[in-house]
Amino acid sequence: MAVFLPRVEQGETRRAVPAEVPLGFSLEPGRILELVGSPGSGLTRLGLSLLAGPSRILPVVALDVRGWLSPAAAWETGVVREHLVVVRCADRRAWLRVTAALCEGVQAIYAEVPAGIGDQDLRRLAALARARGVRMALHPLGARLPAGVAHVRLRGTEVWWEGLDRGHGRLAGRRLVLEASGKGMAGIVRRVELEDDGAGGLRVVPGLAAGAGGRAVG
Amino acid sequence: MACVWFPGWPLERADAPSGECCLIVGEAVVVAASPEAEAAGVRRGMSRREAEGRCPGALVLERDLAEEARRFDPVVEALEGLVPQVEVVEPGLAFVRMAGAVRYYGGERSLVERLVEEVDGAAGAGRCRIGVADGPFAARWAAVGAVPGAPLVVSDTREFLAGLDVSVLGYDDLVSVFRWLGVVTLGELAGLPREAVASRFGVIGLQAHRLASGEDREVVPRRIPGEWAVEETFEDPLQLLDQVAFAARRLVAGLVTALRREGVACHRVLIEATAGDGGVRTRVWRSPDPFDEQALADRVWWQLRAWVESGGARGGIVRLRLDPFDLSGEGRQLTLLEDTSAWVEAERALARAQALLGPDAVLQATPQGGRMPGERVAWRRWGEEARPPERDPAAPWPGATPPPCPALVPPDPTPFQVEWDGGMPVRVRLGSRWESVLTWSGPWRVVGRWWKEEPPFDRYQLVTSAGAFLVAVSGEGAYLAGVYD
Repeated sequence: MAVFLPRVEQGETRRAVPAEVPLGFSLEPGRILELVGSPGSGLTRLGLSLLAGPSRILPVVALDVRGWLSPAAAWETGVVREHLVVVRCADRRAWLRVTAALCEGVQAIYAEVPAGIGDQDLRRLAALARARGVRMALHPLGARLPAGVAHVRLRGTEVWWEGLDRGHGRLAGRRLVLEASGKGMAGIVRRVELEDDGAGGLRVVPGLAAGAGGRAVG
Repeated sequence: MACVWFPGWPLERADAPSGECCLIVGEAVVVAASPEAEAAGVRRGMSRREAEGRCPGALVLERDLAEEARRFDPVVEALEGLVPQVEVVEPGLAFVRMAGAVRYYGGERSLVERLVEEVDGAAGAGRCRIGVADGPFAARWAAVGAVPGAPLVVSDTREFLAGLDVSVLGYDDLVSVFRWLGVVTLGELAGLPREAVASRFGVIGLQAHRLASGEDREVVPRRIPGEWAVEETFEDPLQLLDQVAFAARRLVAGLVTALRREGVACHRVLIEATAGDGGVRTRVWRSPDPFDEQALADRVWWQLRAWVESGGARGGIVRLRLDPFDLSGEGRQLTLLEDTSAWVEAERALARAQALLGPDAVLQATPQGGRMPGERVAWRRWGEEARPPERDPAAPWPGATPPPCPALVPPDPTPFQVEWDGGMPVRVRLGSRWESVLTWSGPWRVVGRWWKEEPPFDRYQLVTSAGAFLVAVSGEGAYLAGVYD
């Protein structure tokens, strides 16, 4: 369950680093990253921001199941405008074929996964992505991905919205706490806090929430 | 648009003998051949070795583009005396925009006659071919079909193009596939459904279909931010050609880097030089393909050299300015890390997705002006060229929703239930449950265009334990305008 603590920040300065550099959950060739969390926990923007790095040199795709994805949010996170292609696919049956077709040529994909896609189909898709060396972030809208698909799983646990105060101010930013787990984290669950002021990419707040949460089981 | 073309311009040089076999060669390919050489079977585009084999005694001269540009400058000057902003593609080939000048000169026919007079006066009679059509592609091929001294004016561009062979498109691989499919003329290509061509051949097929249909690349009006123009002022006027070349290359490198950072390249560039005596010379160069750094540096250098050697820059050059326009993202110069094969594969995959889902499902977007998040994005089908935005994104847009932009924006107004208590939002309905509003900001008033009967409405940013929302509230109820996911 996400915890929301709205508050107004007063010009706090904090050393921040780009999210794609040090965490081990940037998009890597042939590795699938899973974004899990309750709706509203900020994972869509996080998923789009992961395309920023690859978009500097190649076309990237955001696969939009709901038809609501806003490219303006992606541009804010640093995705190169000319290189972002949004593919809208609301049909669950077509989703698998389209995603597989994109894996054949596109090197970085953020894809929402509609509910009801079979585990075997997802495993086959993951195998294709690994074979093609696709950088892929999957954001399931229904159940979590089956075991063995994701290299790293990022679970949004908490969000703080900043800048609002009962009628005053405006949404100025947010902080997002994630739990990173999976094979790519060597079995260790790490907690990471990200900061997003809307003006650029997401940045890691070093040291604050990065305490190891313990060793994952299973 | 009129195309002014001198087929034998490279042969007009002083050291080319008349009445003898002579070949002008550039990059080991014949770019011009004297009538005697052509009678021996030499053709433009033929390799140097093959041409020398067919005409063994021919005098072979290396092409000197800078010298050709210097000789071509008086012709362009004469054209600019009639119509400003003549666009030079290469020495011997220029385009003249006629749309504005036709009325001034009392009709298309009289303007074309004046063009012929001016060109003949500057370069001698009967050497130039002129074609007039709606776009540069059709005008170019009209000039090819014209007779020297008798301009070919195309009244129906699409009909004129329909009879041309597909090889005029210039895409060799694509043309061979078209032939294999039985598509031989541009008319047959234009008759195919555009979606089918785009789905099968991707961006290049779409471009070919546009050209065949008489829809030349749409010229983007000159609304380029001023900071993209590059300019340099020299305290000591540049007198030597070497100094000019060095300055030109440095300026071009700066321009191309700035454009590359924005992911665009220019099809036209305005070169402006200020001489020591205060005279300002300008010239527009254009290219069907976007300029890369080398191509642009060459053209700037040719132009500056022509001005310096013809005495058009008295007292040296004290200021140099390059103004890019007609920008596009196509054919952008690749950086070191970019992989061309990856681009081809990506385009193929996207074309496949487009074929599976339909053309309206694979989209790209450009920013445009607006106050609500949904208004600030202009969608277009992938593969189509970006059009100028309907609303200027650089305009102030007072009252626009501040960043960050919601990551999810419904395409249509979506009713949203909000419970109020004394004018303050208390709860929102999400699906089957109510969520308490933890905090909010607003109302921010947006006054609609009353002359279009748009009602005013208020915006609120609401934070609940299930996310943050942007909500528009009018007299008819509340609508969801975005989700900060």
